[in-house]
Amino acid sequence: MLSPATARKDTGRPTRSRQIQQGVRERLAPYAYIAPFFLLFFIFGLFPLLFTFYIALFDWNPIGERSYVGLKNFSDLVDDPRFWGALRNTFSIWVLSTVPQLLIALGMAHVLNHVRLRAATLFRMSMLVPYVTSVAATTIVFAQLFDRDYGMLNWLLGLLGFEHIDFTASPWGSHFMIAVMVAWRWTGYNTLLYLASLQAVPRDLYEAAAVDGANGWKQFRHITVPSLRPIIVFTVITSTIGGLQIFTEPLLANPVGGLTCGAARQCQTLTLFLYEQAFGRFHFGYGAAIGVALFVLVVIISAINYLLVTRIRSERP
Amino acid sequence: MLTFVNVGVILTIAEAAAVDDHRMEGRLKRVVTTATAVAAAAMILTAGCTPGSGGSGSSDPNTFEFWSFTGINQQASVDAYTSDHPDIDVKLTEVGDTSETAQALTAALAGGKVPDLVLIQGDDMPKFMQAPENFVDLTTLGADQMTGDYLDWVISQSTTEDGRVIGIPTDVGGMAIAYRTDLFAAAGLPTDRDEVSDLWPTWDAFMDVGKQYVAATGKPFLDNTPTSIFFQAVNQGSERYYDANRELSYDKNPQVKEAFDLTLRMYEAGISGRIASWTPGWTAGMSKGDFAVMSAPSWMLNAIKTNAPDSVGKWDVATIPGGSGNWGGSYLAIPARAKNPAAAWDYIATMQSPEGQLAHFLEHGALPTTPSVYTDPQLLAKTDPFFSDAPIGQIYTESVVNIEPFYIGPDDATIGTELLNTLTSVEQGQVEPDEAWDTALTNVRNALRG
Amino acid sequence: MNPAPHRRRSANRIHPAVYVALGGMVFFSVFPLYWMFVVATTDSATAYSLPPHVLPGGNFFHLASLVFEIVPFVQALMNSLVVATSIGVGQAFLCALAGFAFAKLSFRGRNTLFLIVVLTMTVPTQLSVVPQYLIMSRLNWVDTLQALIVPGLVSAFGIFWMRQHIGNVVNDELMNAARVDGATTWQIFWRIAFPVVRPAALILGLFGFVNAWNDFLWPFIVLKSPERYTVQIAIKALQNNRDIDLGLAMSGSFLATLPLLVLFVFVGRRLVQGIMEGAFKG
Repeated sequence: MLSPATARKDTGRPTRSRQIQQGVRERLAPYAYIAPFFLLFFIFGLFPLLFTFYIALFDWNPIGERSYVGLKNFSDLVDDPRFWGALRNTFSIWVLSTVPQLLIALGMAHVLNHVRLRAATLFRMSMLVPYVTSVAATTIVFAQLFDRDYGMLNWLLGLLGFEHIDFTASPWGSHFMIAVMVAWRWTGYNTLLYLASLQAVPRDLYEAAAVDGANGWKQFRHITVPSLRPIIVFTVITSTIGGLQIFTEPLLANPVGGLTCGAARQCQTLTLFLYEQAFGRFHFGYGAAIGVALFVLVVIISAINYLLVTRIRSERP
Repeated sequence: MLTFVNVGVILTIAEAAAVDDHRMEGRLKRVVTTATAVAAAAMILTAGCTPGSGGSGSSDPNTFEFWSFTGINQQASVDAYTSDHPDIDVKLTEVGDTSETAQALTAALAGGKVPDLVLIQGDDMPKFMQAPENFVDLTTLGADQMTGDYLDWVISQSTTEDGRVIGIPTDVGGMAIAYRTDLFAAAGLPTDRDEVSDLWPTWDAFMDVGKQYVAATGKPFLDNTPTSIFFQAVNQGSERYYDANRELSYDKNPQVKEAFDLTLRMYEAGISGRIASWTPGWTAGMSKGDFAVMSAPSWMLNAIKTNAPDSVGKWDVATIPGGSGNWGGSYLAIPARAKNPAAAWDYIATMQSPEGQLAHFLEHGALPTTPSVYTDPQLLAKTDPFFSDAPIGQIYTESVVNIEPFYIGPDDATIGTELLNTLTSVEQGQVEPDEAWDTALTNVRNALRG
Repeated sequence: MNPAPHRRRSANRIHPAVYVALGGMVFFSVFPLYWMFVVATTDSATAYSLPPHVLPGGNFFHLASLVFEIVPFVQALMNSLVVATSIGVGQAFLCALAGFAFAKLSFRGRNTLFLIVVLTMTVPTQLSVVPQYLIMSRLNWVDTLQALIVPGLVSAFGIFWMRQHIGNVVNDELMNAARVDGATTWQIFWRIAFPVVRPAALILGLFGFVNAWNDFLWPFIVLKSPERYTVQIAIKALQNNRDIDLGLAMSGSFLATLPLLVLFVFVGRRLVQGIMEGAFKG
């Protein structure tokens, strides 16, 4: 920590060497201030990422031998139905959780924007409660609520005359269950994000539309949604990146599965598959290869999103 | 390094928080300051306990670390030991289920903190036996005098070819069937255990009884087929997933396929509750009587007692169709880098001696691996009031004494899990029964490739 | 959607459908927590029965005491507190520092370096857990809290946000005047810039705290001994227990969520504010 330099001594002027010292310190100050970030990022962010590519070229067992196998891990991965299954599961869960979530958030933001609620802050805070709740805890709660024989959801279904659904048994059921968990956590957060952006939209736009006879739905479609386009893109990107990394819910939601999330890997996501291979079976090389696959996916999706964003930007007046 | 950096950061921030800033709400400022102070204090306290490499361990000869898996109630043994040795402190950690404990052990052996003593389940043992240098050769601590006390086929699983003893067996899982007397009575079935055992000398007879029960009550007979049928039937053969030459034979062994097909037939007979074992619904089902019958290797009795204490007296134990077999059983081992192998060894020598295992059995029902006690009158006379005073000593020793032991190989746990999972998928309606065997083989192959 | 048909703009009349929607949202947000509490105060057998018992019972203390017996829960709470606070405070301070440098100081390479910072936001580091674990192993940091804290101090988004904020609110003239008076860069930061952006830094720190508190994957990989568990891993350990008692797991879950809820009561408004301010403005 740089201590405040005593620039003034009793004589008034700092000595020459002190001035030089100070000059050097001053010039270095900015670099010192940003150094922690770069240092930490290099050690714990960039280097591991590069190292992942390296490890993926090996058959790397932490308590056994290590041997160079070139691209074999990748060709194995392409041939591995478990990988493709995990990819499908990840994608399916992502779609099921993101789309309704963002739609509901949009709707809620529109509603909250229009009305002057007395307990506005309270409503907003209650929507954030899922965000601060422990992921592990809520997964276990939801898993019980979705239980085949005794879960509340199935109880309601029974009351309505339907048969009980075994959510953890089928791929769709387990994806739905996990999607609900993820959506539950993030909908309120995204609502607030949209709401904030909406508050920048001038009221007179809405008033003019109302005068013209547009009802709420038309206002929503023609004012709200277009104004929110950039932030919607932002939330889609972040929820995509987040969606690729869903781990805790599949791990804890399905007691039958252990690390496979289901007897037939119904809900095993890519990250869970990575964990299973690397830390359950101790195939570090194969796990790293899965990491590389995840990285490629992220790059592709980010590229797509980037293209969309620039196209949208160029459309805007 | 971290402590210094963070304390510096924290103190700086604390100073900042103390600076008067009218923009910050007073309440908020207090919260931040308090949290900061608490964190700083906590960090200073815990910083001293931050371990270095290989773990802090303890150089204290009267303490040792013990890793076990859940569901086996090692705590009871530990309590018995420490009541006789009050100066010894045993730190027991139940890491997770058997696979998770094996994984944690593997990770620890790779370069983390190892316990002084670890419980390894029989199916996980062969993998560790492939790298015996990770463990202390127990003959150096006196095991050679003890090995004769144990069933040959059990101790051979934990002895290397050059005679190093890596693990001492704790129990074996003699097999039986636990049934609910009240539910049987309601269905018009006999309740006396000998009569019940006579009802099902074969698995097919068992299936018929099941159908009868379902017809009479409309409720499931069995908790599930993968665990209660497959894992029992497959353990009754003379070979399992490896043949006598220690080669993989799960796909060729007719006994495995027979057990698999039997399970499918049981499922198709409609007698299964399709409640997977070791799930919350399963433990709830035990107390509620959602099923009348379940597999009961000796260690399962304890699980029933713990999970369904309200059903005391409503259970009994009958023999298993098809006769004897072994399911389960574990070993105690000492990792090579253990800080206190001597204390760990003393625990093993005391608790796993024939007397120790007998005492444990009389308390908790886990079947000893020391045949000398099989004829002990105390054991033979042992009855369990929870299970309608069933003579569990007799029942389980009979089931174990006549078995033809099979070789357990390094990939046993993996193969067993995949087969079980496929059968569970059938029960969940995800896989058709006629595709099940091929699916199972594919899954095993995928799992084994690495 | 929630169409609100013909409403007079000026009226304070709010369509009932709106209240239904809002009420539904609040209900679904809060119900799972309520259910967690109900199970935590009854037991597993009650939870696994129909029709569901929706009222809390009196079993809270019994289950809670079991939780403390089975896992070192107090230690887990402390561990979580230490990690989350360190990360929150660390992020707040370091991001303000770096944000200040990028916003107000001129130095060679500033724009390039900042671009790099922005680019790092696109790197999802979660998929490099394998080498990250190996690094920790090499540093002998496996099963320590610093393995959680140190990597968590980086936040590219935090720097981005602080730079924007500092750029907006810190007064250039004041800074120049201070320079003329001979103040060092540090003094300018500490006495002029930081106090002004302290609220924003606090919000950043709060989010860092919450995210660190709820983090699961990395602690799950890196922590091994029960004494080192954070509360999230402690909950998993409770769930592990083969003698599966949902009441136990829920009790632990509830106890783990409680601190954050308490914190939320105090600073929830700030969190809301933070999200609202952090949003893109087009």
